[in-house]
Amino acid sequence: MKIQYKPKRDLLETIIHLEILQGLALTLKKLFSKPITREYPGEMPPVYPGFRGQHALVRDPVSGTSKCIACLRCSQACPARCIRVKYHIDESNGSRIVDNYEIEALRCVYCGYCVEVCPVNAVTMTDIFEYSSTDRQSLHFDKERLLENWDHFTKSDSYERQSYVNPLWRPRGFPKSRLTASSRESVPKNRKIEKQFTGTKLGIKKNNKEAGGYNNLYPTHGEKNAH
Amino acid sequence: MQILILLIQIAILVAVVLLHVAYATYFERKIIGHMQVRMGPMLVGWHGLLQPIADGIKSFFKEDIIPDQADKSLFLAAPIICLAAMMVSLSVLPFAKGWALADINVGLLFIFAMSSLASYGIILAGWASNSKYTLLGGIRSMAQVISYEIAIGLSLVGVMMLSGTLNLSQIVEAQGNSFFGMFIISQPVAFFVFFIAMLAETNRVPFDLPEAETELVSGYITEYSGMRYAMFFMAEYIGMFVMASIGVVCFLGGWYGPFAVPLFPPIWFILKVYFIMFLFIWIRATLPRYRYDQLMAIGWKLLIPLSLGNIFITGLAMTLAQ
Repeated sequence: MKIQYKPKRDLLETIIHLEILQGLALTLKKLFSKPITREYPGEMPPVYPGFRGQHALVRDPVSGTSKCIACLRCSQACPARCIRVKYHIDESNGSRIVDNYEIEALRCVYCGYCVEVCPVNAVTMTDIFEYSSTDRQSLHFDKERLLENWDHFTKSDSYERQSYVNPLWRPRGFPKSRLTASSRESVPKNRKIEKQFTGTKLGIKKNNKEAGGYNNLYPTHGEKNAH
Repeated sequence: MQILILLIQIAILVAVVLLHVAYATYFERKIIGHMQVRMGPMLVGWHGLLQPIADGIKSFFKEDIIPDQADKSLFLAAPIICLAAMMVSLSVLPFAKGWALADINVGLLFIFAMSSLASYGIILAGWASNSKYTLLGGIRSMAQVISYEIAIGLSLVGVMMLSGTLNLSQIVEAQGNSFFGMFIISQPVAFFVFFIAMLAETNRVPFDLPEAETELVSGYITEYSGMRYAMFFMAEYIGMFVMASIGVVCFLGGWYGPFAVPLFPPIWFILKVYFIMFLFIWIRATLPRYRYDQLMAIGWKLLIPLSLGNIFITGLAMTLAQ
């Protein structure tokens, strides 16, 4: 590894404070650039595909209630152990009937494993992230509340029928034919998000590449960042 | 009757300066914000224009907390000393021809005396708060102000020699109404020394060691809250304003400009002061803080020899010119 030292300043550069002047020129240039601030309450940030926001139970349009079959995979997959499913078995046909489905949002780590593991796409994580509360009880979601969350989400602007079930959440190695109809629909490839910030827009990537200083020190790191 | 007029003049000056101070904070936050590709205050009023007023009201009604172990009388007095000393130096500034409250013959010395007195406020605040951070901040401020007081005084000796007076109005008159008459042309080294020492004297970045946030929480104002905290801020900004005014008076030709503005003669003075204030803010947005030993090295090993050399060369040139 070769360490690059800065070239030594000559006397003239020291006297006119070249590096300080360069710094001042940069800040002056940035004074007239457009701020990248997003004024949050007025201007909402874009929600990316795979965003893991507020939990919801998908309301089945046919039955009018949750699609949950009480397989308990979600509560087993949950690393925070914040999902609790209560069910009883229907004696007539042996099927499980969900009595209650509880998610403690305060304990949740928002890993999305429950969504990934759900075979019927009953539980999902919506795009809604503004649901803070001053008491614990209102963040302890029960079945009714989770279904309400879903209704609330479907009414919001960010709801897109096609993409609410994200391919990122699909169980791995699971044939597409065995998925429920709603999760077979994939996210359109050309889905674009407005006001998306990238490194190039901020001028970070370009400058680093041109200067080459850091990239020379950490070549692999630089490569990874570039792609 | 004369006293009454003087009192009214003082009241107007203080009101105008305090309003300026309030909006200097806004100006600073906006400019630094945009230089850092942010926006600065945006919510209070149109583009945050009422932010300084909201801040003023907030700090006025905030609880004034006095630490249990603090030296109470000194703790209460320190911000007042600081603010009063800074405000008094406003009285000798000539904003335009004849627009000085007190056109005294030792104006320049008076301002230096007052700015040293203001550093007493800082030191007392550091001592009286009875906290390690404030004490360190106070000690640093003392050392810094003493070191740079010498440099700033010596740098202005050249100006005094050329103008032959300490009266601020007469210094401006000595430069005359021409571009090449400005002492920045004949005394560039003195201006350089003055400018750097000015940053240190007002405890501004890159010499803001007395309140170095990363090391000393908030330096000498750590234990202050509410209006007393705001008074230190006001003192700092008035200090900036006074130092910028001295720079304008001594080097940039005071109230003279390219053309005379009829109704409002101080306009050029104010524009030049704003320019120097902008330089303060610009530098704050750009440079990191100097290390303490670097600060001392710049003060003693660079600025003082430079200004001494400048005095010698100025004297030599003046003798030869005669």
